[in-house]
Amino acid sequence: MKILIIEDEQALMESMLAYFTGEGNICEHASNFAAASEKIELYNYDCILLDLGLPDGEGLQLLSRLKKLHKRDGVLIISARHSLDDRLAGLDLGADDYLVKPFHLSELKARVSAIVRRKNFDGDHVITFNEIKVDVSAMKVSVADNPVILTKKEYELLIYLLSNKNKVVSKNAIAEHLWGDEMDLSNDFDFIYTHIKNLKKKLSEAGAKDYLRSIYGIGYKFGEL
Amino acid sequence: MKLSARYNRVNILTSIFVLVITGVLYYLFIHLILTNKLDRDLAVEENEIRQYTSTYQKLPLPASYLDQQVSYKKLLANAPVVRDFSYTTYVDPKEKETEPGRSLVTSVRLNGKLIEVTITKSRVESEDLVRIILLITLGVTIIVLISLFLINRFVLNRLWKPFYVTLDGMRNFEVAKTDTIIAEPTRIDEFNELNTSANAMAEKVRQDYKELKSFTDNASHEMMTPLAVINSKLDSLLQTESFTEYQGALLEDIYHATGRLSRLHQSLLLLAKIENNLISDAQEIDLKDMISGKIRQFKELFERDNLQINADLSEKKIQMSRYLADILLNNLFSNAVRHNIPGGQIWISLSAETLTISNTGKETRFQNRLFDRFSKSNESEGMGLGLAISKQICNLYGFEISYDQKQHNHTFTIRLAPAY
Repeated sequence: MKILIIEDEQALMESMLAYFTGEGNICEHASNFAAASEKIELYNYDCILLDLGLPDGEGLQLLSRLKKLHKRDGVLIISARHSLDDRLAGLDLGADDYLVKPFHLSELKARVSAIVRRKNFDGDHVITFNEIKVDVSAMKVSVADNPVILTKKEYELLIYLLSNKNKVVSKNAIAEHLWGDEMDLSNDFDFIYTHIKNLKKKLSEAGAKDYLRSIYGIGYKFGEL
Repeated sequence: MKLSARYNRVNILTSIFVLVITGVLYYLFIHLILTNKLDRDLAVEENEIRQYTSTYQKLPLPASYLDQQVSYKKLLANAPVVRDFSYTTYVDPKEKETEPGRSLVTSVRLNGKLIEVTITKSRVESEDLVRIILLITLGVTIIVLISLFLINRFVLNRLWKPFYVTLDGMRNFEVAKTDTIIAEPTRIDEFNELNTSANAMAEKVRQDYKELKSFTDNASHEMMTPLAVINSKLDSLLQTESFTEYQGALLEDIYHATGRLSRLHQSLLLLAKIENNLISDAQEIDLKDMISGKIRQFKELFERDNLQINADLSEKKIQMSRYLADILLNNLFSNAVRHNIPGGQIWISLSAETLTISNTGKETRFQNRLFDRFSKSNESEGMGLGLAISKQICNLYGFEISYDQKQHNHTFTIRLAPAY
């Protein structure tokens, strides 16, 4: 994946860069409007992470510029503004998704992966991890060609973990992803455990290795043993 | 009471009072003047009789002239001399009618004898005059009252029209829209001033609203960015993966606190937005559909705590923001789950007028502060903002939310405004 991060907050940008770099991803960054529009014009990206509040320009204008250039880059808006108008304006201008600060890096990664998958729909609609295959278009999971029947939540959890493979994903992030932050179930993660347990069981019964590990009770990691 | 009605009342009462007083004074004066004139005529007649008597040494004939009669009566020599005016009756000899009259009783001395002379004049003419004057006064009073009424009815209503147009404009004023308060063209300075002031005020309100909106946005941005940094650094720290159990526990606590802080901040911003009516995407919502969806969404939580759901939903459509409706239902549902007991029950009923959500739970004792900000029971894991937000949402749409507790059953009732 080739990703452009447009973010003026240095610390936040560094975290994102670090999280996305590796595993064949190429990450570039721009911290102001001028640099960002130059990069957008010169190169093509699989996904652009766009912070709306830039010091020298309105992020939404970059969206219209992209449209004018007839580029097919995926765009994920990152904004501190929780206002509905901005969300709608962004999506109207051709953004693919909208994420409100603060967010979990794992959530960001999952959404970027989803955008990139959608953009490259012609070929790559199967996520493969060793013997595990997920057909995203048909929502089917198989382990070494044995079909695995998952519930909707288990399926979403698996996609989320696969998007963040080899990363530690916190329980908070999983809870917010599966149930949304509005449900306000703060500090109550028992039910995540149930889903993790069921997912592990179903995958190993179908013959997959145990890729899912709990990390110090804070979170989970799905990846190479 | 309308200003014009009040003004009318004062005006009419004063007019009636003044006209009645004028009428009475008029009547009294004219009466006095006419009586004086009659008395002078009578005195002139008396004088003539005296002169006649002293010149000819005999009484004139007691003839009756037009509207005047003279009669004589012999008195005893030592009778007191009288001279007295009085109201009497006058008998018209031709028409045989009794009319009001005025008499002068006086006495003359003729050849040493005292003779009483009574001169009577008819008062009919002066009485007629007084009556006519009274009628004219009455007529004028009635005409004045009628014209006052007509003026009020037609002219005042037209005069006040610009006022009501402006009032209507103010009533329909919405901060989110930019149209001005329309003025009915008028030459009346007060109304023009009123309209100008109303528009100036509207402009100021709009300006404040804009500033508030941008402040909310900026505050949110400025506070969310450091929070986002903390969050992302925590996620990054988690990837280094070389913690002891103790460090892991510390990290988890920081995670919880950060999550809490960002939720708290979002809730406060949301409250501010609702209070300032910054959310304006009202649309028709199928409440039954939405609640059924919520029951599905919360199914796992219900199952986890072994809660039994009893739903009795009838069709109901309301006008409100989908976003806020979602938050309202989320709050009520999580409330019913959070304060429930394992194996408890939840009842949800939706009718055309009310939405009721009740749940089994422990007995608690705080009722009046329930909807206050940051009020919560000690065991509660929430922030104490959920119900405050719910109440604000209800206020915004004119719904009425109330709480009732019967032993172990807690009930929230929302009285939905009639569909508009």
